[in-house]
Amino acid sequence: MITKEIIDHIEGEASLYFEMQEKRVDFVTVVFPHFRGMENMLKGKSALDALVITPRVCGICGHAHLMATVRAIEDAYKNSGHPIEVSNKAQNMRELTLTLEIIQNHLKWLYLVLIPQLNNFENITLSLTPLKGAYGASLATKALAILAGQWPHSSYMIPGGVTSDPTYIELMQLRAHLEKLSDFLEKETLGTTVQNFLSFESCKNFNKIASDVSSVEQALFDLRMHKKGFSHDDFIVLGEHRFTQIAKSRATRLYNVDITKVHVEDAFSPQEKSYAKNALYKNAFYETGPLARLISKDVKLIKNMHRRYKDSNYTRAMARIYEMVYLLQHSLDLVKEIDITQDSCTKSVTLSKVTAQGIGVVEAPRGPLIHKIKLKEGIIERYEIITPTQWNISSGTKLKPSPAQKAMIGLNKQEAEFVFRTFDVCSVCTTH
Amino acid sequence: MHLNTETKPKLLWLQGVTCNGNSHSFLNLESLEQLLDKFELLYHPLLASTFSLSEITSLQNSCDILIFEGTYDPEFTRNNIPLKEILPYYALHAEHIIALGTCASFGGMFQSLAPERNSGLLYKVEEEGGPLIAYKKRVINLSGCPVHPEWLATTLQMLLAKHTIVVDDLQRPRELYSSLAHHGCTRNEYFEWKVDTKGFGLKEGCLFYEQGCRAPLTHASCNTILWNEVSSKTRVGTPCFGCTEPSFPRTNYFQTKTNMSIPQDVPLGVSKRAYLTVAGMAKTFHIKRLEGVLIDYKRDH
Repeated sequence: MITKEIIDHIEGEASLYFEMQEKRVDFVTVVFPHFRGMENMLKGKSALDALVITPRVCGICGHAHLMATVRAIEDAYKNSGHPIEVSNKAQNMRELTLTLEIIQNHLKWLYLVLIPQLNNFENITLSLTPLKGAYGASLATKALAILAGQWPHSSYMIPGGVTSDPTYIELMQLRAHLEKLSDFLEKETLGTTVQNFLSFESCKNFNKIASDVSSVEQALFDLRMHKKGFSHDDFIVLGEHRFTQIAKSRATRLYNVDITKVHVEDAFSPQEKSYAKNALYKNAFYETGPLARLISKDVKLIKNMHRRYKDSNYTRAMARIYEMVYLLQHSLDLVKEIDITQDSCTKSVTLSKVTAQGIGVVEAPRGPLIHKIKLKEGIIERYEIITPTQWNISSGTKLKPSPAQKAMIGLNKQEAEFVFRTFDVCSVCTTH
Repeated sequence: MHLNTETKPKLLWLQGVTCNGNSHSFLNLESLEQLLDKFELLYHPLLASTFSLSEITSLQNSCDILIFEGTYDPEFTRNNIPLKEILPYYALHAEHIIALGTCASFGGMFQSLAPERNSGLLYKVEEEGGPLIAYKKRVINLSGCPVHPEWLATTLQMLLAKHTIVVDDLQRPRELYSSLAHHGCTRNEYFEWKVDTKGFGLKEGCLFYEQGCRAPLTHASCNTILWNEVSSKTRVGTPCFGCTEPSFPRTNYFQTKTNMSIPQDVPLGVSKRAYLTVAGMAKTFHIKRLEGVLIDYKRDH
């Protein structure tokens, strides 16, 4: 018998159709029921209008959409024979604000999704402090807004660089907000210093701290999540940034990738129409997001976790938490590197001279976000968006399940829904 | 159910076609905890609340304040129940209804997906044509893409305190929408003396003449109540896109429409003749201070 469960609090909603056998998931399909059609909306508009429209695909990762758009337009410039140079300053600013958006995302996921969901299990008692997540996230977005003007829905990245031209005062204010965030995390979330946390090399290190993170880590163990939620153990990273490395990996062994081998196909959802498309690389499913990125960067703690517990739900969840701290350190380093003597934005030829295709790839909080643009004299003829959740939470067949489907098989329903959420689902992005 | 009784007013946050932007913007509110403490949150798409989505869509409860985020599409469903059933059910008895964001106010970003049936709660772009027009007096429009968290917090606090909310002709609180996004812009002096910016990525110059800035035509307090408490679009050199007005989304956001190099749309309420006279006069003066760079980091390095 197939039973349907509506999942909400995932940036929208999704339906899971479970086929159970002796109270265990035998198979499950995923349906994203809401369609908006942002790609069609972009047709016939000036390429620059996409900088305003695509951030509005998503309230939690709109900044990643902005960056994917600007990269796609700049790629089209290049392909039309008019390459644009972007200063190191502008590149650092873009990477910094993107990083800060990922931090706010992970903090919200930890406090608004992971902890409440863990608490729903019998015998798990964690303190529920959702507003801690919101507060920490607001410190990250405040720092972001100093450069980008606002969050959500900034459009400060434009072809050639960024619109803002920060002063030393602003950079010092930004740094102060990040230090405040760092103090907050140390005191409220980690129970140790950022430095010490990042020096962890083994899961045993968590035993020495008493904090929200160590309680979560213990709860994941108590629920035996280190033995559950295994997926394909294949990962992919496609966005070019300093905090990650472009690669696909079989377990922790890295291989080169070619972006042209990415394709999408219709979801398998016999019960109900799903508006999400499956994203694949060379016809195979790959897991994306923090775990994939940290493996690509050879981060010791995560590699150790992976060695012991493979791509279990424990490893997946802990990677998301670890990445939040890892990226905080990266943002503190980036602030120092912004050289305000450089130009914020370089001039480029007029957009009407651009007739070409372009592709923009960034790492959004949940993994690779791909924007493809086709321009005729600067006007958008075609726009295509492939989001991270389309990778992780594709809906495949029983013979060829997606990462999330595979991870849910064999679990009871509550565990399966929990595992589903540890992929940090973004419904609005998926059905852009 | 009335406000200011011993029980906390019941707040229900319902979504139509949306990106979740207003929900996330709201989480930036510095006094979030203190504000939420004053309400019973029946449902919120991100925060823990009394009821689940399936309980809310079973239509057996009622709320005192209904917040609706997103474009209204009667056929759009939440938990497989269409909005045309959910919205009227809660709106009937809600003491106050807040249309949160430009989508809920005027149709906004997702109006064009199904223009014949999509709208805001009261307005279809600028015309009255939304599903709650019969309840107009109970509906407050908070436009913006997204809405600044303080705008929502102010409105909720005013409702709690039973203050009369004076609204404009688009049902927006004058408290928040009486002035223009231009007010408080740090580039105002450049606007006064008609000194346009020489490009993007510069501290100097006004964005109204070439870069598409809509701040002198847009009702919003973005430059007086700063975003994330620290900044605004124009402060970081991004033009205002006019996102609080019914005409949003527009096109050509980064370019000013001009006729004979004069902006086609002049500041709100100013006659073209008055604008041209003042602009022409201002332009005849060359003010060196406004034509140079504010800080020459390059020279000093």
